[in-house]
Amino acid sequence: MIILRTLWISGTAVVLSLLWSLPLAYLLSRKPGLAKIMVPVFDALIGVPTVLIGLVLYMLFSSRGPLGFLGLLYTPYAIIIGEAILVTPLITSTTYHVLNNVINTYGELALTLGATDKQAMMVALREGLPGVLASTAMAFSRASGELGIALMVGGNIKGYTRVMTTAIALEVSRGEFESAIMLGVVLVIIVVSTSIAIRFLQRKVYG
Amino acid sequence: MAVLGVYMNKIIVAVLTVIIAVVLASVLYVGYYSREIHVRVATTTSLYATGLLDYLAEAFEEKRSGVVFDFIPVGSGEALRRAANGDACMVFVHAPSLEKKYIEQGVLDEGHIFAYNYFVIVGPSSDPANVSRASSVIEAFKRIYRVGEEGKALFISRGDNSGTHVRELSIWARAGLNPRGRSWYLETGSGMGETLLVANEKKAYTLSDIGTYLKYKKDGRIPYLTILYTNDSELINIYSVYIVKSCSGSERKMAEEFMKFVIGEVGQKLISEYKVKEYGVRLFNPVNGRLELLRSLWVKLSEG
Repeated sequence: MIILRTLWISGTAVVLSLLWSLPLAYLLSRKPGLAKIMVPVFDALIGVPTVLIGLVLYMLFSSRGPLGFLGLLYTPYAIIIGEAILVTPLITSTTYHVLNNVINTYGELALTLGATDKQAMMVALREGLPGVLASTAMAFSRASGELGIALMVGGNIKGYTRVMTTAIALEVSRGEFESAIMLGVVLVIIVVSTSIAIRFLQRKVYG
Repeated sequence: MAVLGVYMNKIIVAVLTVIIAVVLASVLYVGYYSREIHVRVATTTSLYATGLLDYLAEAFEEKRSGVVFDFIPVGSGEALRRAANGDACMVFVHAPSLEKKYIEQGVLDEGHIFAYNYFVIVGPSSDPANVSRASSVIEAFKRIYRVGEEGKALFISRGDNSGTHVRELSIWARAGLNPRGRSWYLETGSGMGETLLVANEKKAYTLSDIGTYLKYKKDGRIPYLTILYTNDSELINIYSVYIVKSCSGSERKMAEEFMKFVIGEVGQKLISEYKVKEYGVRLFNPVNGRLELLRSLWVKLSEG
């Protein structure tokens, strides 16, 4: 159950984040001036402490906070939102670097061959897909391995917001190191097999 | 470009399928979860980690279905802070001086002492500061300070504003000493278990709750540490349960029922028997007619 919940929460967070991170990365790759300022910022934010995002979101979602009326605190959605924000810099930055490369080589070529702007974008996205998928796998690993957000806004509630990492932290505080290690091994197996599955999918699509 | 179009369609279908699956999963999940009344309970990690609260909640839920207790395990300081923000309906804590502060601020309503146990001073069996021969806890801390200054002993502090840490600081204050910043005084900023492990590695002194110490000792993780000092008044560890003022409706009604259960006959019996078979001693003592005494000790502790 806890494994499925972790997969669901982190997977949803990554999908959600892709919805805005990919267009953002594309926008940056089309606007070199903006990219010059924003990309270093995103690069740096990749390592932002998860507990900091967790605390900011806690203060927003708290009953006394500005978004308290949404009733999101201590729900899986709060964790999903937090993790989606967490992986945004990672996806945006890595995808930007991939797209930038691809556009410089294929996109320009397509344009000179008389393709429209939209068609050129499609070509760039297609050629950049392996990079985007790799960045998705990284984002999933980061999301499912984070602890601070899940603890602060999820509350580590048994059967509801407890995920692999918060379960590990609890087992450690209980002094049950062996079961904490077991959970850790399972978590690593999950992220590695997800990454392999994504790679496999990519091969299939490309034929 | 036509080939590309077909290919993009495939991707769009795949992405849509994923999104629909995710949304469906969310809806099903919440539908399943929200049928019951949820009571948000902020609790100290040390209390939750012993398993006592889950054990009591399960016993309560057996008789009273349709209610689920969402335990949010954090430190005493954080638990009360979350209560003040209206993010908990009920709190289980063991930090009288903090509790008093939040009672005065009007955050907490009705409260009851529901259990107690003892803090213990643990350290290396060689006991360089002769803590085991101290006549009071204040004298024990003074001995550690003196030997620490001589460079012959270390003290490990939680340093995390937990109930145990707050108690430790109040003992130093009553001894008229300030160990902060001294080279022999280390703050881990982490839980009791981690702090015991550090004390074990460094063969240092620390203040621990009895439950965590017994668990780690039994598992053989802290072979160098032993109980050197305890007593039943100054080192008493009093656990209280409160209803948070901002909590209302059916959540509050359930919280009040659960509180009655915990301080009632059945709950108290469960507390007194909890894990006795496993450890050979009680992890928690029930209140059992000692309420007046415990209250007066609580008042004394709350004044720090």
